[in-house]
Amino acid sequence: MKNRLKVLRAERDWSQAELAGRLDVSRQAVNAIETGKHDPSLPLAFRIARLFDMTIEDIFDDGESA
Amino acid sequence: MIFASKTPLGPGEARSIKRRRRYVIYLAFSSVVGMIAGFAAGYFDHGDGNLLAGDWDLLRLPPALSVLIAIMLLAGFLAIPLYGFRLADDYQREHGLVSYAGGFLAVMAGFPTWTALHAGGFVPPPHAFGIFAIGFVSMSLSYLYARWRL
Repeated sequence: MKNRLKVLRAERDWSQAELAGRLDVSRQAVNAIETGKHDPSLPLAFRIARLFDMTIEDIFDDGESA
Repeated sequence: MIFASKTPLGPGEARSIKRRRRYVIYLAFSSVVGMIAGFAAGYFDHGDGNLLAGDWDLLRLPPALSVLIAIMLLAGFLAIPLYGFRLADDYQREHGLVSYAGGFLAVMAGFPTWTALHAGGFVPPPHAFGIFAIGFVSMSLSYLYARWRL
């Protein structure tokens, strides 16, 4: 699944460790999500969306949306 | 302060460092429990038994020590891993689940396969430590695979 996490993080000048701490996950998890190796659970997707004050669809794209 | 950070840590980075430290302490504690249990079992065994050969009747430990080792093994193979799942995030938990699935499947496939090969005269009869070793090694390899691929 594609996502804009890396761009959104860069816009705020946050390191992966900074974002990981704010989401209460490991830095490896942030890296895996950014590179598309790992899809976050629904609760984590909501946490990410709330942190960036966006909707889940604004951040994640499963390629099915019109 | 040679190693002082040039930029102040953000709140997230500070939490990440704390999380990382907690994980390292968890790993170190698990290792120490495993090493003490393994060392005590090997060092204080007065019998001529051999885990690899499966001759259990020849293993001899002082009763009190055997209870202590049993408690440490239960902690090492049950309580500590369960606590680890509570510390883990989704991503780490996925690695753990792949690892445990690999170990479980190897045991499920390993025992009947070993038995069949024994019946054909190829290998010695299956024994508990051999099955344990198959599970443990497969679990470790599955974990490495998960870290590499996922």
